[in-house]
Amino acid sequence: MSLTDLIIISVIGTGISSISVQLITVREFLSQFYGNEITISLVLFCWLMVSGLGSLASKLLKRKSITLYSILALITGLFPLIQITAIRLFRDAIFIHGESPGFYPVFFFILILSAPYTFFIGFILPYSLAVIKATRQTFTAGKLYILDNIGDITGGVLFSFILVYFLSPFKIIALTSFLLILISLALILCLRRYFLFMGAFLSVVVFFAFAFEKRFELSTLANQYGLNIVSYRESPYGRIVLTKERGEYTFWESGSPIFSTFNITTAEEKVHYPLCQLDRVEDVLLVSGGMGETFDEILKYSPHRIDYVELDPTLIKVASQSGLLSPHEQVNIILTDGRGYIAEGRRRYSAIIVDLSEPDTFQLNRFYTKEFFDRAKGVLRKDGVLSFSLIANPNYLSEVRVKKLSSIFNTVKGYFQNVLLIPGEEVYFLASDGELDADIPRRLRERSIATSYIQGFYYGNVTEERIKSINDAMNPDEFINTDFQPRVINIMFTEWFKKYGTSPNWFIGALLGLLVFYLFFIRREEYVLFSTGFAAMGVEMLILFSFQVIYGYIYLKVGAIITCFLLGLLPGAVLGNRWKKRGKHVLMNAEVGMLLLLAVYLIWARFYQSRVPELIFFLYGFSFSLLCGVQFPVAAEIIGEEKSPAAGLFAADLVGAGAGTLAIGTLLIPLLGIQAAIIALILIKAASTMLILRAYRIR
Amino acid sequence: MRRYITRKEFLREMGLLSLLIATDGHCFWGKDKEREKADIRGRVFKGDAPKKPWKWSIEGFYYTTNGEDVQCMVCPNRCYLTPGDRSVCRSKVNIAGKLYSIAYGNPCSVHIDPIEKKPLSHFYPATEVFSIAAAGCNFRCLNCQNWEISQRKPEEVHHGELFPADVVRLTKERNIPSIAYTYSEPISYYEYMYDTARLAREEGIKNVLVSNGYINKRPLEDLSQYLDAANVNLKSFDDDIYRRLNGGRLQPVLNTFKVLHEKGIWFEMTTLVVPGYVDKPEMIKRMCGWILKELGPDYPLHFLRFFPRYKLNRLPATPVRTLEELRDIALREGIHYVYLGNVPGHEAYDTYCHNCHKLLIERHGYYIAKFNINHGRCKFCKTPIPGRWGS
Repeated sequence: MSLTDLIIISVIGTGISSISVQLITVREFLSQFYGNEITISLVLFCWLMVSGLGSLASKLLKRKSITLYSILALITGLFPLIQITAIRLFRDAIFIHGESPGFYPVFFFILILSAPYTFFIGFILPYSLAVIKATRQTFTAGKLYILDNIGDITGGVLFSFILVYFLSPFKIIALTSFLLILISLALILCLRRYFLFMGAFLSVVVFFAFAFEKRFELSTLANQYGLNIVSYRESPYGRIVLTKERGEYTFWESGSPIFSTFNITTAEEKVHYPLCQLDRVEDVLLVSGGMGETFDEILKYSPHRIDYVELDPTLIKVASQSGLLSPHEQVNIILTDGRGYIAEGRRRYSAIIVDLSEPDTFQLNRFYTKEFFDRAKGVLRKDGVLSFSLIANPNYLSEVRVKKLSSIFNTVKGYFQNVLLIPGEEVYFLASDGELDADIPRRLRERSIATSYIQGFYYGNVTEERIKSINDAMNPDEFINTDFQPRVINIMFTEWFKKYGTSPNWFIGALLGLLVFYLFFIRREEYVLFSTGFAAMGVEMLILFSFQVIYGYIYLKVGAIITCFLLGLLPGAVLGNRWKKRGKHVLMNAEVGMLLLLAVYLIWARFYQSRVPELIFFLYGFSFSLLCGVQFPVAAEIIGEEKSPAAGLFAADLVGAGAGTLAIGTLLIPLLGIQAAIIALILIKAASTMLILRAYRIR
Repeated sequence: MRRYITRKEFLREMGLLSLLIATDGHCFWGKDKEREKADIRGRVFKGDAPKKPWKWSIEGFYYTTNGEDVQCMVCPNRCYLTPGDRSVCRSKVNIAGKLYSIAYGNPCSVHIDPIEKKPLSHFYPATEVFSIAAAGCNFRCLNCQNWEISQRKPEEVHHGELFPADVVRLTKERNIPSIAYTYSEPISYYEYMYDTARLAREEGIKNVLVSNGYINKRPLEDLSQYLDAANVNLKSFDDDIYRRLNGGRLQPVLNTFKVLHEKGIWFEMTTLVVPGYVDKPEMIKRMCGWILKELGPDYPLHFLRFFPRYKLNRLPATPVRTLEELRDIALREGIHYVYLGNVPGHEAYDTYCHNCHKLLIERHGYYIAKFNINHGRCKFCKTPIPGRWGS
């Protein structure tokens, strides 16, 4: 096996390692900061942008050295462990322990901590091409693209379907970097750089020793969770940590404390406000939030059955093992997506209690839309009650919160005759076709149900004047929140920014400026790749969003969609490589194909929005990314390595993908809805089509 | 222009970059001492004042001038404002060389609460209190539950119009015995509070200050002549924590307690037990030692359970056991009345005689099930019970 072959294998190794590290990094940042769509988009954005810069930087390096490549490849393999450790340790070194920082500090933290690795990743791929070409002239950027895709697919599948279920992040890093590290060592050895090899070998030994040492990994979590970690699991849905302090448990999901023992106030408010409205409670559906005192409070009504729907089996497992989910014969745990379960309409309930966080992600917004309320009503018995809560200050309602509450109020009001807001610790929404009574303590007295908080504090905290004030404050003109126009997410973003007294406008302005500057200097074909990267990430976000809305958030299926996107790139790249001599025709056909696919999406979103087979989503994702994959080798061939090395093409693709992630995920869908997002993608693609057409005419 | 760099140059640049990163990293690592000094205290808002006073403005009561510049003397921030500047608390502005309070008669929150909600356990139990707030605060607490009014400018919030006379009239009409200046930070709307308190006193209505206690001596002494009670936060007994979590300093708050004590104002102290910060037994012991030495054992101390709020939302709730332990420490040290808050149903809501330890007030939330105090004395052993009990 020649040195060039080893380098080629290392490209695949880089793909396997980098995609896993990317997924681990996103999860890590979500565990460190507030996990809304903004954080997710920021991580992806920084990743793609800095990779793009790395690719551009590789243009600068004239001399190609296999030794340098080997060192870079080794660093790329080893660095992720340092990166994740650094994220965990620096978080509390820079920010105040326990604090959620605002937009700009989070952005700069993500940028700085992920920059070194992502820069290497962006740099090494085009650099590898340059090194290979030094000995093998026939090797093209298109082939490199294929190899990279093979690595990405392998890494993505390994991580999403196998490793995430069984291993912790450090071990996953060690396993997915193994191939890259091994090849790097082999390269150094083949080059007979023995001193370098000794150093490299020693580094690798230290790397694996730390990666597989459980105590080391746990120690990196101590800053965030303290030393009393009882259980630490990584589930596909996030990081589950259980801590025990002075005999009391706190449950953490992706870094946020979601439950602490002895939280009587929340348990009573959540359960009694809706259930005391009913003359008879036969069966209750609880969507999330079943830990602690919740079931004890529900059981005071002696229901025949309590169905408790929870998405993450790991959460239930850990809670059961620690006694936080005491078994009751009436309680039936259903491990699935709550929205999906309600949509199936298997059973009818006296009450549905939704205990979820604020609608600040696409996943959560699905529980606050007209489509959801429609389906929820469908599974409620006659005069049954639906209840959920949103955060608001009981002493003052700010403009943005009036907007948020009004929007949800108007949305739910469309399906229930009566909607009552009770300003407790949070604002509780009660919706029913039957009568609703705000005098909760009286209703409880009538049923002889004893409570600690409500009977003692309700009349003082939730006064008639406060109830009237909040119900009167609802603005009937506020818009309706829908699945495909999730405008409440935008309000949540505004609320988030207001909390920190910052505005994203500077950020958006600076980005637009940089983008215009970049687009001004790139070649026509590079713009085509930029727009393709933009559209690819944009469509991926749209598909994931639509799929979740219709079928619910099922990890394996969402993972399968992402895999379809990755899988499509490979045959696309192979075909592109085969047809590259046909040049602009192929580029043009791929453009038309993408535009057609986007038009189909738009028609579906505009007129149908009906349930389509799941397979259609998978096929759509595969087809779109196939067309994206076709374009890369063709564009590379048209431009030629002399005029623009692979670095420029990779950069265009990555920068486009970064811009697409941010524009579609955080701006267009929340602000204007799914249709507007598709139209924006059509315009972006249409512009690149025009560019190609114009090139034809000139010729 | 040269387009490429050589390998050697590249390696040198990378080396320099690594060195830079390493140096930066070292700065972070070696930051322990600096971390201790982390400070989130607010800053003056330069050039942020409105062009002219609005309807709800009044000239500040305590300030000095230096030409066109002014310095607010109400709180220890002592904001030095050049023309056009706005104070840390956001409620004071320098307009053409005069200091104005722009939070006067424009409350953004008006409610009627039980007195126990402030919390005040020894001040006319089971009575109502007319509660008002205008926007602003001289602190920056990371866990503020009222941040939408405390961390906002008066112009940024929805507000009503209730000038001091209106507040007093409404309170009287509703037959409520006291007015509380609460929710946000009353020291930031000092002038509004002062004038309302003065009029309320004339009408026989009591005045209650609910505050962080970050106020200078003279304004506090002047206000004290109209004050009947206060609940003042003693957020911790550590200046570093005050700076890191609250954006203030400890000593001025301690001075406030001393002034209130000297002036004979009834007050109770509240400490939010933030896990990892305000839950150290040693610190609570020191705090109790100071209270006993400077204020005596009679002022009640409330330990509140922390729940994740606002920006400080990645900490767990305080374990109830921790609260109980701190309460035991405070009682052992000699504080006569130590209560727990945010733990519904806990026996530490009740009042026990510090002499005979019998149950004086049994509380079910805000309701009183048993009341064994007669004319301010324990019904059992006749010991005077500190507080204001009425008839």
